[in-house]
Amino acid sequence: MEILNNFNSLVVFPLASLEVGKHFYWELGGLKLHGQVFLASWLVIAILVIAAFLGSRNIQRIPSGMQNFMEYVLDFIRNLAKDQIGEKEYRDWVPFVGTLFLFIFVSNWSGALVPWKLIEIPNSELAAPTNDINTTVALALLTSIAYFYAGIRKKGLGYFAGYLEPTPILAPFKVLEDFTKPLSLSFRLFGNILADELVVAVLVLLVPLFVPLPLMVLGLFLSAIQALIFATLAAAYIGEALEEHHE
Amino acid sequence: MTYWTIFLVTAEAAAETTAEGGLFDIDATLPLMALQFLILMAVLNALLYKPLGKAIDQRGDYVRRSLKEAREVKEKSEALAAQYENELREVRRQSQQIIADAKAEAEKISASKIQNAQQEVAAQRQKAADEIEAQKTEAMQTLEQQVDTLSDQILEKLLGAELVN
Repeated sequence: MEILNNFNSLVVFPLASLEVGKHFYWELGGLKLHGQVFLASWLVIAILVIAAFLGSRNIQRIPSGMQNFMEYVLDFIRNLAKDQIGEKEYRDWVPFVGTLFLFIFVSNWSGALVPWKLIEIPNSELAAPTNDINTTVALALLTSIAYFYAGIRKKGLGYFAGYLEPTPILAPFKVLEDFTKPLSLSFRLFGNILADELVVAVLVLLVPLFVPLPLMVLGLFLSAIQALIFATLAAAYIGEALEEHHE
Repeated sequence: MTYWTIFLVTAEAAAETTAEGGLFDIDATLPLMALQFLILMAVLNALLYKPLGKAIDQRGDYVRRSLKEAREVKEKSEALAAQYENELREVRRQSQQIIADAKAEAEKISASKIQNAQQEVAAQRQKAADEIEAQKTEAMQTLEQQVDTLSDQILEKLLGAELVN
């Protein structure tokens, strides 16, 4: 801490600051909300909805402009879902997997590309919605619910019989897996995005010019990869739940 | 400067922010974020996945159908071309047949005409020869008669009329 304090006194210009674990609280009927996360997520949602609207406003057989781009995006998502879930059932899950990917991707990139820090909000700072644990846990829990729903809708309660396959000895591990899946999903995304933003922020604090740029580029790459990983794993879990057990 | 906080280690951050906040501060943000995500999913489903997915599928169908139609048309045109080729060959064969027939006919006709002409010529020549022969015999008969008459007259002159008869 002493070194840090010494270091603090070295920095004369308020070029950048770091705030971790501080939240801009909103009260809603006695419940506490993280305002900065919602503000940032609304921008992300607005970007997605506007892009989707522009892409499907005037659908042509020969696509051009925004429609072309959004079709490319949709094609990418469909292939992702198809690869993980399978040709037969992937169509029902395109909205879920696709929204996961798009929301996380745009969130992550917004953290790196939108100059959030220019907007002052009390007691906190705006950043990517995905660097708040609430967001990632929400997405991970939705994924858990989604794959349970997928399995139970297809096989009824017989889905849980799948826990005894291939041998009942592994059943405890399979139950454990249901807990580790959302845990690993949420913490992987949260940790990566937070770490990326922290590293960039610390570097900006130390050397405000040029030096952080390669790390920022790396951060963009990493953000895209994390979105892809989250969506792919979610699709893979759903695909696993839908898989037929060969008796 | 006083409120600047640098936390390089997350554990430190968690320790510093005690009562409120912190890195792992889970509260009502979580369910509301989930709800927000579900709403976004529904909106994007209506705006993006459904219409564009339909457009992509329809385009796929259209392309597949067009390809099939094109293949059918191609097959049809190839069959037609083969048929025309056959017909052409047949017609060419017929025309050659007709030419050959006509040639044979013409030859036959010319041969028969030549033969006719030759026969006619031969007949005329025969006729002329016969005439000549007839005239010759006639001339000979006349000549013989004259010779008889003359020889009679000579005899008469030499022997006298009484001796002759």
